[in-house]
Amino acid sequence: MIMTAAVIEGFEEELARAEQEIAKLQSRLQQAPADLQSRVRLAYRMNHRASLTGRMADLEETQAAVTSAIQEFGPKEDLCLLQANLDAHLHRIANARNDLAMAPCLAGRFEARTLLADLDFQEGRYDEARLTLEELIHENRTWDNLARLAHWESRLGDPEKADELYMQAEDELTAKQMRSYAWLELERGLLDFRIGRFADARTHYTRADESYPGYWHTDEHVAELLGAENQFDTAAALLLEVIERTHKPELQQALAEIYILTGRSDEAEPWLDKALASYLDSVKRGGVHYLHHLADFFTDVRPNPAEALAWARKDYALRSNFSTQAALARALHLNGKIAEAVATIEAALSSGIKDAMIYSCAAEIFASAGRAVESRTYADAALQLNPRHGSFHIHH
Amino acid sequence: MADHNDPNAVNHIFSDIDYSPADLYDLFGWPINGGDKVVFALTFASAPAAGVLDPDLLYRLLLTSHPRVAWPEKAERNIESVLRYFDAVRDKYLGELKTAEIRVTVLSPKRVLIKFLGFPCGEFSKEMDVDTNTSIQTPDGHTISAFVGGRDDAFFNDLTGFFRSINYAPQFYHVPHTMTEARELPIPKTLLELEGNDLFNCREDMPKWGYTQLDGTTPKLDLPPGPWAWKGNSFKKDANGNFRFVYDGRDCRAQQNCNAIVLEIPHAFISPNVRENRLVNGWGESWVRKAAHKVESIPDEPSWTQHPWKAVREKELDDELRKYKLVDTDGQPFADAALSEREDDRQMGANNFWLGPHFIKRLAHLGWGFGPSISALGLKTSFDHDNSPVSVHKTYDSAAAAFPRIAKTLFQQLNMPDSSWNPKGLPIPLRRAFEVFVPNVCAVDMDTTGSWPFGRRLEDQVATRFLALFLDMDAEWNGKKYHIDLLSDQTLWDSAPIFPKTPPNPLKNDKEFLSAFPYLAEPWPETW
Repeated sequence: MIMTAAVIEGFEEELARAEQEIAKLQSRLQQAPADLQSRVRLAYRMNHRASLTGRMADLEETQAAVTSAIQEFGPKEDLCLLQANLDAHLHRIANARNDLAMAPCLAGRFEARTLLADLDFQEGRYDEARLTLEELIHENRTWDNLARLAHWESRLGDPEKADELYMQAEDELTAKQMRSYAWLELERGLLDFRIGRFADARTHYTRADESYPGYWHTDEHVAELLGAENQFDTAAALLLEVIERTHKPELQQALAEIYILTGRSDEAEPWLDKALASYLDSVKRGGVHYLHHLADFFTDVRPNPAEALAWARKDYALRSNFSTQAALARALHLNGKIAEAVATIEAALSSGIKDAMIYSCAAEIFASAGRAVESRTYADAALQLNPRHGSFHIHH
Repeated sequence: MADHNDPNAVNHIFSDIDYSPADLYDLFGWPINGGDKVVFALTFASAPAAGVLDPDLLYRLLLTSHPRVAWPEKAERNIESVLRYFDAVRDKYLGELKTAEIRVTVLSPKRVLIKFLGFPCGEFSKEMDVDTNTSIQTPDGHTISAFVGGRDDAFFNDLTGFFRSINYAPQFYHVPHTMTEARELPIPKTLLELEGNDLFNCREDMPKWGYTQLDGTTPKLDLPPGPWAWKGNSFKKDANGNFRFVYDGRDCRAQQNCNAIVLEIPHAFISPNVRENRLVNGWGESWVRKAAHKVESIPDEPSWTQHPWKAVREKELDDELRKYKLVDTDGQPFADAALSEREDDRQMGANNFWLGPHFIKRLAHLGWGFGPSISALGLKTSFDHDNSPVSVHKTYDSAAAAFPRIAKTLFQQLNMPDSSWNPKGLPIPLRRAFEVFVPNVCAVDMDTTGSWPFGRRLEDQVATRFLALFLDMDAEWNGKKYHIDLLSDQTLWDSAPIFPKTPPNPLKNDKEFLSAFPYLAEPWPETW
């Protein structure tokens, strides 16, 4: 069977369609502004566009549209669910829970329970998250919940089982969902990347690119892989392209880190300034999405112990999980607060997290605390899990 | 509504779901040439456009041919006997019956590959252009006529009236996809408006409410907060004492297109023994290519089969089908919309045996709505509603509890309007409801005209005939026994205390069918 008939549409085509749909709905709404159905559809299409572009401005525009629709039409389930998803995406965990509570019955819906599992994971209630996901998959075997369970396994369980679950998720997808397929391939690649299997990661990233061409998210992962393989110039060039398309500050920071690694600090500084300005601008406007990045920024890139600790504490206060705990532990360590750093990294480790970076961080903290045996144990564990964990990586 | 807008995964009635070429509409089947040939027409949503096919889709028409089987006249009429029948059908379909298949894969939007698999003469295939009548010579010397492409949608129906009758809220209200309990609202289903039914009664100030427009939009209202209930105790009557019909007989599919696969096939090509095998059963399926197989370089991945129906199907999947995912099935009109409730995991085609008990419960649920409506009009109903003066909302947890109410509906022979359906005058038994819907196939009797339920001809008003299941076929109207077309008889409505005085659904299609292959009318110009 010749397969060439199946034309592969990628990012640009999907974005163009999303823009067309948005324009069509906006035009329709000019004639009938009180048409709830069109307003809801528009909000979802805007969210679709925002998820495509990855641009914060598109996300904020979507959120404004949803807020306005809720104000005008009341807390409709689909609007509240979208609002909750946006808040969860932006790390506003409490807001997301409030959104789900706005519409009676919504919290008990399948889609809301899925989001609640995400929130539980974000807040460190891992067992509850897993249980909910298993229940949801039993009720309805959707690809996205299989992927969520895979993510759980990848961080806290068995990476091989995670990969198997990602494959099962892929098996649920049709040719009409190629972006989701590509995203799953990227997740599978990341799974390999995190354990140092760069060739396998590349295979998945290539599949992602073949199945959904032109996706900046794929380029972002490929750039990270190139950086980890010390192909810094190529990585930087690719990152520059992605930055032009998305304006994501975390990628501006990543580019700067590559420049620093290659001794081009002068070129790095303007990008660090830009990234920092974007992070702070977001905070100034009430955002919490970049708290984690700010903590990393002041711990690793422009070390500033007080700033690092302040941002890490803020993030930790919003969502206590192995990731925020590890970031806080590193900031405490940087500030010489060794006892508190030990307690915090122990909390992160107690989650069962399997992450070479966190193990490596634990090794450093235990060493500073004079706990040499544990330090060696975690240093070994980091190496065992990912012999290349010291390579370049992006703070996703 | 035959099979439009289902299953829910491709039900574009929801605001976040687009038209999908995987949404099968109807399967028509009837004999021609005195029963020497059979025509099957599988119709589906014309996405991306009429006459333009989606290369990610695969369509199957599955066929079996076997002798006519008659339900023993003196057989017991109880729940056990019906369940035994379902079991026997299951054994037949999963066991002895050999299924042949005509498979259409889309090579490009304007060209398809049509494969013939499992027929007595062996396997062969042919490439053909879309929108072109094509003659296909078979290895055993037969000629098959084939057409794949855009046509006028052959279904003519007051879709909105049907939705109103079953309280299907997404047609009238903005219903978020999350609110699964707000699809069929829990008030009595009915053919006559209920007094004080503010949820679904017609609104004179909103004549377009719930009617899909030619630009694809449907004017809807904001769903009132629940609980949704009806507290009345009677049908609504106007100042003249007339009931208000939930139907108005308009053709909601007027000027709308479909894509279609139409085949004219010699019976002898399907079966080596046409003298005995007088039935040709057909059912259609739509499959969408799996993501993992969109790009050839991506290797095959194993398929995980958690669902029982998948376990059955996995056995029959060949290398090509494993690259696709089943989305929709179509055999009998109303098997999905009215009986399977569009559930995604009930898309089973002929293999719908395990839905048998559900079918009994669902038919009884509908009976409590339609039975009292029929009685109120002065007609006799096959449903036992204890002389309820008004429709009742009632659901059943067990088929055994539902069965006594629906026994006559299930077992009564469905009278035909006249003898024209049986041109050879053969002793062909009339069909019964349970035989019609399980298995979910279009069962064409090659000695009849193929008029529903002996097949399905293009001109059959199947929506109105479906309602006739609830008529008491022993009763008489104007000196003649009730029959499946009685509700299409204008004189009945002229004398009934009802407004508007119209059969529930249009009597004919908005465009004349063709007298020759491919029979379905030319498509309408598309503007959206």
